Amino acid sequence: MSEKFPMEQLKTDLSASWAIAKKDMRIYYIKPGTLMFGILFPLFMFLSFAVGKNAPVATLIPGLISITILFSSSSIGPMVIPTERRVKTFERLVSAPISFYSIILGKTLGGFLFSLAIGVIPLLIGVVLFETQIISLLALITGLALASYCFATLGIMFASFPTENPGDIMMLLNFVRLPLIFISGLYIPIESLPDWGQVAAAFSPLSYANDLIRYSLEGKTFYGPVLDVAVLFFFTAVFLYVGIRLDRKFRK
Amino acid sequence: MENAIEAINLTKYYGDLCAVDHINFEVKKGEIFGFLGPNGAGKTTTIRMLTSLTKLSEGTARIFGYDIQSQTIAAKRRMGIVPEISNIYDDLSAWDNLMFTGELYQVSKPEREKRARETLEMFGLYDRRNSKAKGFSKGMKRRLTLSMGLINTPQLLFLDEPTSGLDVQSALIIKDVVRELNQKGVTIFLTTHDIEEANVTCDRVAIIHKGKIAAIDTPEKLKKTIQSVQSVEIAFDKISPEALKELEKIPSVNEVRKEGDKFRLYTHDPANVLSGLWEYAKTNDLKPISLTTLGPSLEDVFVRLTEIDVKTNKEEI
Repeated sequence: MSEKFPMEQLKTDLSASWAIAKKDMRIYYIKPGTLMFGILFPLFMFLSFAVGKNAPVATLIPGLISITILFSSSSIGPMVIPTERRVKTFERLVSAPISFYSIILGKTLGGFLFSLAIGVIPLLIGVVLFETQIISLLALITGLALASYCFATLGIMFASFPTENPGDIMMLLNFVRLPLIFISGLYIPIESLPDWGQVAAAFSPLSYANDLIRYSLEGKTFYGPVLDVAVLFFFTAVFLYVGIRLDRKFRK
Repeated sequence: MENAIEAINLTKYYGDLCAVDHINFEVKKGEIFGFLGPNGAGKTTTIRMLTSLTKLSEGTARIFGYDIQSQTIAAKRRMGIVPEISNIYDDLSAWDNLMFTGELYQVSKPEREKRARETLEMFGLYDRRNSKAKGFSKGMKRRLTLSMGLINTPQLLFLDEPTSGLDVQSALIIKDVVRELNQKGVTIFLTTHDIEEANVTCDRVAIIHKGKIAAIDTPEKLKKTIQSVQSVEIAFDKISPEALKELEKIPSVNEVRKEGDKFRLYTHDPANVLSGLWEYAKTNDLKPISLTTLGPSLEDVFVRLTEIDVKTNKEEI
């Protein structure tokens, strides 16, 4: 009459998460909404502010990677979850004999892997065309992975709002994502921001993601890599916690 | 004998509205249990509570002895769920839909391939296994949903309106498979609007109305509770526009309904109605071409218990 042992259930949940992530990759990665919000939107957003700026292109690469990761990873959850609510396939996941955490993990993995794949593109462009150098490979991999997962959980948190229309979530999410771009040192380094700007930057997870990636490519950092990693972990935990709480509240 | 489902004081509130009001019932292992009720009676909310899609406000539900709230995963592992809306992935093929569902239920790869082949053959979809589900008809999607509900070889199958709005072929296939599954020992919990389907399929039925169980028994025993409602069904060679009004005037007739080319006269005294009908036919120069006396149907029980006004087709307030 007992449930499975915790380790056995954990294995089951991880395998279910991977199944969910694989399924999302097959179905949603090539949807127009994903391509629009995950790739084209950050690219044009970046170009519109970076073109004409008197700075070497190589110095803009960390910012381009950060903005690409922000948009690509946080777009998957808000695209997938409301769509699946509308066609009732989300209920198929909820009714399966797996924990709710495994569903959340599966959904964040979808955003995480998409973002890693997309985030590598500006990095390759920088390395191949603009002589961008990788100063710390460990910091680069950590930065790409942590930033991708952190922003994927940001998307999941917003997707917890009980709507069946992805556009509703994207609109809400852009109210957060767009201001983050301007206060996180992507176009102007944090050390050059006024005092109030530096205070605002401290509250943005994008500041720490960008700082860590900038450190890995340029060796320059404002917060230090250890603090960057710690704060990204903190934001990830907060987004996951709030997302799960919101889902429980709305799914009564 | 262990029960497949035990619902004890099952209750659901949405704000101030009590959608399901302290209902109690049991479903025995191996039974086909029908859950009938008008729209908004609480059928789907009950299924959602039993399958853990909705939290219980009060009460307890157990699936094969597992508490649905505290032993959720163990309870879910024993059930298959086929919701009213076919929730399949349109962008995946029929085969991939089944493989994904099998993975969610931790069915091993060889076993899920075997089950997928078996269920797709059972539902006449094997030849279309590699086609994307978006090209399927409503009936095919429904059959695929059922296949997905069976991938984990469940001991208990929840079917929410399984044949509603389907073509004849799909409905027949589904009904056959449900019977076959039940013969193999699978317990079936079925909600339906089709009262005749419940009458011929279910071992027992519960009628839910305004969130409360109005009756629960075998279809035949339920019919016996309203033995006073009998009827005479007659068809004439000609139908006059005034026939309905004229037939209502026959002594002992409580109500007349026109059903296609036939008239159904409700009465507590069929013999008296038959002599009245004979007079009516003679006076109007009509020839009866068919005549049947009928006992109460499950639909009559349903109408009586749910207070539906058949003339206006609305529930009484």
